[in-house]
Amino acid sequence: MENIIEVDGLSKVYDKKTVVNEVRFAVRRGEVFGLLGPNGAGKTTTIEMLEGLRKPDGGRATIAGFDTQKQMDRVKAVIGVQLQSTSMFDLLTVHEMMELYASFYEKSLPVEPLIDEMALREKMNARVKGLSGGQKQRLAIALALVNDPQVLFLDEPTTGLDPQARRVLWDIILKLKERGKTMILSTHYMDEAHVLCDRICLMDQGQIIALDTPQQLVKSLSSESAVEFTLPVELAADSDAIAQFKESWQTLAAVTRVEFRKQTAVLYSNDAQRTLVDLLAWCGQSSVRLSDLSTRTATLEDVFIQMTGRSLRES
Amino acid sequence: MRRKAYWQLTLSQLRIFVRNRQVVFWSLMFPVFFMVMLGSFIGGGGGISLGGLVLDEDQSAVSQQLVKKLQTSEVIEFTSFTGTKGSSREQALEQLKQGDTQLVLVIPRGYGERVGQAKVEAETEVEASQVAQVLYYYDETNRLTYETGRLFVSQVVDEFSKSQLDYKPVVTVQEKGVLSLQLEYIDFLVPGIVAMMIMSNNLNGVAGQIASWRERGILRRMQGTTLKASTFIAAQITARLSLNGLQAVIVLLVGFFVFGTQVNGSWWLLMTFVVLGTLSFMSIGFIIAGLAKTPESAGPIAGFISFPLLFVGGIFFPIKDMPEFLQPIIHTLPIAQLTTALRQVMNVGADLTLLWPQLLYLGLWTVGAFWIASVTFKWE
Repeated sequence: MENIIEVDGLSKVYDKKTVVNEVRFAVRRGEVFGLLGPNGAGKTTTIEMLEGLRKPDGGRATIAGFDTQKQMDRVKAVIGVQLQSTSMFDLLTVHEMMELYASFYEKSLPVEPLIDEMALREKMNARVKGLSGGQKQRLAIALALVNDPQVLFLDEPTTGLDPQARRVLWDIILKLKERGKTMILSTHYMDEAHVLCDRICLMDQGQIIALDTPQQLVKSLSSESAVEFTLPVELAADSDAIAQFKESWQTLAAVTRVEFRKQTAVLYSNDAQRTLVDLLAWCGQSSVRLSDLSTRTATLEDVFIQMTGRSLRES
Repeated sequence: MRRKAYWQLTLSQLRIFVRNRQVVFWSLMFPVFFMVMLGSFIGGGGGISLGGLVLDEDQSAVSQQLVKKLQTSEVIEFTSFTGTKGSSREQALEQLKQGDTQLVLVIPRGYGERVGQAKVEAETEVEASQVAQVLYYYDETNRLTYETGRLFVSQVVDEFSKSQLDYKPVVTVQEKGVLSLQLEYIDFLVPGIVAMMIMSNNLNGVAGQIASWRERGILRRMQGTTLKASTFIAAQITARLSLNGLQAVIVLLVGFFVFGTQVNGSWWLLMTFVVLGTLSFMSIGFIIAGLAKTPESAGPIAGFISFPLLFVGGIFFPIKDMPEFLQPIIHTLPIAQLTTALRQVMNVGADLTLLWPQLLYLGLWTVGAFWIASVTFKWE
């Protein structure tokens, strides 16, 4: 498939701190490309360099064949941008905002079908101020689509939304995907990346640490299940005991790796059933009481932890 | 520049302004409130704050009569001046030079005698050198005081001398001429208030709005489109010019109908200065917006600049009441140029032959500030 975006060694330095370090990737036409990583991983900076809002300190990128530094006017005509902040005029109505943004482009789509598509018909004459968080994000996407862009940039579109509003937005993004719209989506929700993205670029501290389909990323883990449980507070605080425990957990059947943070232990396993039997036997021997015991299949979160030793939510 | 984007942005800015009820209310109420407050309290006695000294060197019955007549005036507040003997005239003139008083009237020695002689020779022609004289000293730098003072004094003196000589008073026509220049405090105040409005709306308005749009990512979002910065700025200028023009007209009309403020000069010239003032303060507002890191700091920075100017810039108080050493500095400020120009057009009916320095000066400020703003302006 044809590449619509090519990124070659983009870097950005703020106050001597490298926030994006020579990232390289390509986005194919029609795919939803996810940038997944914790806050401060460099996702937004990467996106904003592609949007022409920040000047890279190194490297280059092209969108639809146009250089993002030398041909920014051409690039802007073919991209749609949704920023993390609301960035809209509170006192204008949905329809007025759409007309305003449509006027910025040489060629634009009729605004009313777009308003319908984003399920904002009822709010067409309501002011931005009175919209809910989900409605604002849908308007932001409608604004980004007004020039019928080849590439749509969505920067953490569901952050701060309630679960239902997130679902509605997912449906909209999936509908756009069905129509073949290329999208670059940044998020720090692994479930979101898993549901929406064709390929995911895992970022941490300004670097790409993995890039593949969600399925392949999970498969790359040596283990497919995780056994999780919580220890009592006083035990969890005893680091000597924990060190000892971790050693003995490592020897349980089928366990490939052990993670322990705060009160919670995660045993990655090739065979959850055998691990569980062994774990319960260990509990009996050492008379430790576990709580919140559960098993689950491994997720992108586990991939991230394996690669960085930290979870997505702590940065 | 795309025409459609320009009109849409202008329209949006006007909509935002009109929908922001509080801004509409207060930016119109503020000047009107000031007019009512100051206009009815201070202006209650009529007469603008013209003050003068009268020095009676003659000390005769006739001269004292003239002093008394001068002191009944509501237009100019005459204070009797008695300095140290011998040099009292120099002392009075020194006060004039220092700006402590606006005019000095001297009744020289021998005045009463000459009036007496004139009475005797009432029927014969009096030689010019023999006529009783009063000396009128005025501040050449202050045209308004000069005009008002001269017309007033000559009217009083004329009337007085004629009554002394038993002439029939034939002053009706002259009196009219004098009345047309009889300025009330409200006439002084309204141009100042229009200038104040232009200054604060543009300084605080532009700085606050742009800084807040930047903070909220609105500017950055627009930067992500094919919109040109020049189109954006042109629309800002258009919207603010029409708003300010409208506001100035409303304030002027309120002044005109409610308080009877005079507009003696050309409305076109008046509006030219309104536009020029708006442009120069808008540019300064853009500079502040560039300096301010957050919208929270834009307000205080704009206030830091505009608040002192309210007092020294000739808005409520004449610039000549400011400390002497400050005056040359004050006269370099755009607010001083604007208040002077508006006042001259409205009060005295001055035209461009008199006001070209103000026009030039405000023009230079606009160009200079725009240049600095364009260099320091940041979209994010």
